[in-house]
Amino acid sequence: MRTCSEKNTRTAALAIAVLLVLITASCLLYLLLTDRRQGACTAEIYQNGRLIRVIPLDQVQKAYSFDVVGQGGCINRIEVRPGKIGVIWADCPDRLCVEQGFAESPVIPITCLPNRLVIRLKVEDALPADTAVPDAVTY
Amino acid sequence: MQTKKLTVLALYATLSLAVYAVESALPPPAPIPGLKLGLANIITLILLRRYTCRDAALVLTARILLSALLFGQAMSLLYSLAGGILSLLFMYSADRLLRKKYLLLTGAVGGLAHNIGQLSLALAVTATPGVLAYLPFLLPGGIVTGLFTGLCARLADKYLPRKHA
Repeated sequence: MRTCSEKNTRTAALAIAVLLVLITASCLLYLLLTDRRQGACTAEIYQNGRLIRVIPLDQVQKAYSFDVVGQGGCINRIEVRPGKIGVIWADCPDRLCVEQGFAESPVIPITCLPNRLVIRLKVEDALPADTAVPDAVTY
Repeated sequence: MQTKKLTVLALYATLSLAVYAVESALPPPAPIPGLKLGLANIITLILLRRYTCRDAALVLTARILLSALLFGQAMSLLYSLAGGILSLLFMYSADRLLRKKYLLLTGAVGGLAHNIGQLSLALAVTATPGVLAYLPFLLPGGIVTGLFTGLCARLADKYLPRKHA
């Protein structure tokens, strides 16, 4: 009886271990295969789930910064540079949003959980040169 | 509750608060919100092994409330509670299934559940599906840090005297 329950425990342990390995492997695989297209990125700034600002990063010529003020007066100072965006100062307690640095690709968004701010990058679907948008369409 | 047990549990709560304080002084392992070592989980694991789930829940709640009061803010309290409670439930189930034998695996399950709980709350709070982009980092991160806390708990359990347990 005892050996039977011991066997069951070992089977359960093995099942859990396999499940954990599978979760880890699928996450790593996803990160490896994920779309890493470099190119024209658009930054979307969300606050409380609401899209408050869209910035086409490829059109930025000169770096500039602005403040996003949230509920209760919390502030995130965002700097936009050509092709990248980041939080350079914030009044949140952990400043993880500042430590995340500048984002250039859509792989990881920049998030400030205390101030409920998320900056997402999106790669614009660039059209191949030979299928460019027509100058005019006539009917 | 017996006075002796109350005292021992209070000691464990103090220990986990001290471990939490030490951890918050360390730089985060990666600049990803939610990813941390979770060293205070070592105490929860030891309590699950030596006492009951109820005792572990009591100490966990005390630690979370005290740490929010001493170091944190209202938001971090919510995140800690979401992660802590889900992690405790999962660790309790895993520990029962594994008959308190594989503390390493229980820790890994706890780390995983903790990060799932926190990310779910982050999703609810920010209402931005974009935060799910952290999922492929937070899931393996939770498993790895959970394995580490499980290992620490196993070693600590070996050397902590059982006389007062």
